[in-house]
Amino acid sequence: MLGILLAAEGGLMGLCVVPALHFGDGTAEAVALCAAFTLAVGGLLWLSYSRYRRIDDRRMAYLMVTLIWLVLTLFAALPLMATGATTSPSKAWFEAMSGLTASGGTIFADVSALPASVLMWRSMTQWLGGFGIVLLVLAVSPRLGVNRYALYTAEASGADITGRRPVSTAVTIRRTLTVYLSLTAVFIAALWFSGLPIWEAVNLTFTNISSGGFATSSTSLSELEPVQQYLLAAAMLLSGVNFTLLYLFFTLRWRQIGHKLEQFGTYISIFVAAALFVVGGLHWQMGLEWGDALRLGTVQTVSALTTTGSAVADTTQWWTPLTFLLLILSICGGMAGSTSGGLKVMRVLILMRNARSILRGRLHPRAVAPLRLNRQPVSSHIRSNVMVIFIVYATTLMLGTMVLMLCGVSATESIGATVGCLTGYGPGLGASGGFGSYAAFTPAALWLCSFLMLLGRLECMTVLVLFLPRFWHR
Amino acid sequence: MQLFNHRLVARLAGTLLLMAAAALILPTAVSVWRGDGAQYGLVLAAAGMVGTGLLLRNIVGRRATSELHERESFWITTIVWLVMPAAGALPYLLTGSLTTFTDAVFESVSGFTTTGSSVVSDPAELPAGVLLWRAMTQWVGGLGLILLVITLLRRLDGASMQLYAAEFSGTQQRKLHPHMAKSVSRMWQIYTLITVAETAALYACGNSGLDSVCIAMSTVSTGGFMTAATGLAGYNDATHLVLTIFMFASGVNVALIYNFFTLHWRRLRRSDEMVVYAALFTAAAAICTAAFAVSGTPAGEAVNFSLFHIASTVSTCGFYTTPPPHWPFAASVVTFLLMLSGAMAGSTGGGLKLRRLMTMWLYLRNYFTRMLHPDAVFCIKIDRRVVDADYVNKIFGFVFLYILFVIGGAFALTLCGSGIAEAFCMAAANMSNLGPTPLINSMGANLEYAMMPTAAKWVLMILMLAGRLEIFALLAVVSPSYWRRR
Repeated sequence: MLGILLAAEGGLMGLCVVPALHFGDGTAEAVALCAAFTLAVGGLLWLSYSRYRRIDDRRMAYLMVTLIWLVLTLFAALPLMATGATTSPSKAWFEAMSGLTASGGTIFADVSALPASVLMWRSMTQWLGGFGIVLLVLAVSPRLGVNRYALYTAEASGADITGRRPVSTAVTIRRTLTVYLSLTAVFIAALWFSGLPIWEAVNLTFTNISSGGFATSSTSLSELEPVQQYLLAAAMLLSGVNFTLLYLFFTLRWRQIGHKLEQFGTYISIFVAAALFVVGGLHWQMGLEWGDALRLGTVQTVSALTTTGSAVADTTQWWTPLTFLLLILSICGGMAGSTSGGLKVMRVLILMRNARSILRGRLHPRAVAPLRLNRQPVSSHIRSNVMVIFIVYATTLMLGTMVLMLCGVSATESIGATVGCLTGYGPGLGASGGFGSYAAFTPAALWLCSFLMLLGRLECMTVLVLFLPRFWHR
Repeated sequence: MQLFNHRLVARLAGTLLLMAAAALILPTAVSVWRGDGAQYGLVLAAAGMVGTGLLLRNIVGRRATSELHERESFWITTIVWLVMPAAGALPYLLTGSLTTFTDAVFESVSGFTTTGSSVVSDPAELPAGVLLWRAMTQWVGGLGLILLVITLLRRLDGASMQLYAAEFSGTQQRKLHPHMAKSVSRMWQIYTLITVAETAALYACGNSGLDSVCIAMSTVSTGGFMTAATGLAGYNDATHLVLTIFMFASGVNVALIYNFFTLHWRRLRRSDEMVVYAALFTAAAAICTAAFAVSGTPAGEAVNFSLFHIASTVSTCGFYTTPPPHWPFAASVVTFLLMLSGAMAGSTGGGLKLRRLMTMWLYLRNYFTRMLHPDAVFCIKIDRRVVDADYVNKIFGFVFLYILFVIGGAFALTLCGSGIAEAFCMAAANMSNLGPTPLINSMGANLEYAMMPTAAKWVLMILMLAGRLEIFALLAVVSPSYWRRR
């Protein structure tokens, strides 16, 4: 049952390694070998299990989702080891996980020194991972039972946004793929026209459209032209928008979008408000010129809100509240149904509304006021789902920070790294923040961070349910 | 719609001020007896309270009707919690103990909210009268100013329940007596009884009379103001033991303590929350002891300190002694978690309250099971009673707002110049009304509330109030829909 998806992904992986071959800098053979191996294993699995097509068991589905991610990470780590980019398995695993979960924290202190093929492969994993999560949410989750379905129909698939008629999964996947591919193409072209070498244009587009955040230089985006930085900021901003919404917008079906734009409105308002604060802070507190403040402020705000993690400035050196605000933004995250991580604006919106309605209920105990979103009442199922995810998320953040501190990381840095990994933002605070890397982390800390990334990407519940003793009972 | 009942609010505030003035007689007497020169300032403060009190009670609040609705009950709660701390600041200012307005209000808010964060650098230098006043603010704040109001409003039984709910939001308490005012006065009786018992015990351990009274008032209210700059390090082991026991007890639901005294012990065992509280305390103390022992502290000292520290943290009391030289990391973790969890609902302690956490835990467990078996139907039972879904949702909402306040508070503190990690610790410690804790000191920097910038002190004050009033009462009066005409 696992085979079919694994093989498909394995095949895609093999395809992705092929462009890496073109940069022939002595690592081509190793990469080709890995690609062949991945293809072979994927193909074998596919062939031997091709008869089982359906995932009926709920337990199997949960297990599979997590397993897919783990197996893909394992294979993604192969080229990193084979090319000698890193010799430590935990570092390779972290890097691969960071790629596939589109987090963007790196263990390479000096990214520019890496062979081209490895750089390409890192970008590729993020591009795959960014799309993979959307795909996963759309394709697999509806099979995961009533609760999950309720949650995802509310946020990810077309039902809530397009109108009353739910759109079939296949259609949504096709639309999403269209949007993703065309956005990638458009931004590669745009960056190329703005004067960036094609190779960097491809890399950066891959990592930013997937809200990943790997870069081809250890100073991330800071050496690019302002125009290119703004272009990438636009890419990031779009990567935080619901893909179905984008599809409808670009195919000019505006009437279907209608006034169901609450989540989008909130997303944009959060962005604008935060950007204003950051830009103001940069100008008045840190004495930057308006132009620079505007550029650095907007790009960093987008990067945090969409949990991309690309940097145009070393934010760890910024005024503390600004650094803090960026962390909070990354916890908030982009829109549901996008490639970004974090809690998602939709959930934050429901949480806020719910708190407000509880407050109203206390003031006017006899009033009946259902929770509404996009003018439709939110069912108590969804409400409690959101609440549970929030609590689990908050608890994970807290415990993650503490365990990380037990691994010998300082308090501030632990907070940063936990938020960075769980939300998929990438960089943390201190050494791992800004232009820094996770190179100094101990293996134990790296494994923990990898686990946090997986948890964050699969939104906690899917992974945590595997730890339930009841899960393994027959 | 009927008009907002301003007169009643004014009348209540006035009455409370008069009571505060009356309460000042005690510190004044102590000051005169000790001859520390603070009596003039205290009398002046009392005079100010009497003046304002009479004005509010007899002129503004003349002919007050006793009609009370939900809106007024929130307003009363907030007004009372603003007026009293403001009045409580007067003695500090007029005796010259604290020189700035912010400091005086901070100390007073910290007292009434039973937080115990202090801006006094050396309490031993305070005049005896002021020291006693400081302890008294906590003592009153411990059971809650609103309970005081309810005692005043004996006639308004229906309204008292609303008031009670405004201060103790959402913890679904059982009343001690069908009659609200009676059950509240029983609570005061138990409270006084415990205070007297602890004072006697402390006195028997060889502490001075003033110290015994002040510390006892700090303990039972889970406040945490101490009488020496070094915390409680200068006191003997017997004192520490007594304090540990009483701190633990003050984290227990007052209703259960009542059951304890009336020999209904089976109720204690049957209370799920009590069992969890005891288990949590034991486990945390064991972990903490082990951590200290492993890091090289002699076993005896490790046990003593851990018991004391854990009791102080879980009840959100906030007493501290000198920690062993090496502060293990596990101790920080345990401290932080206990600080957030807090004590039992219906106790004088702060934090999220165990009952809420238990409810959430049970709900989460069911939720995970339901992920596997979507058609399963569950109910959550605490103390053999079913918790309804609406109440669970309120708890989740509360916890969300709580976390929001801690994050927002920490953000505001970084605006005032703190680092991120210590801002989180401080915000959480004050939101849970814990106050001082070795955890903050273990963050490395020499973090003292006295050294904080003025703006940071106001941020902390808001957090303390929000924590004590459990957010909703505070948010209610600032929400636009509250002021909209119906």
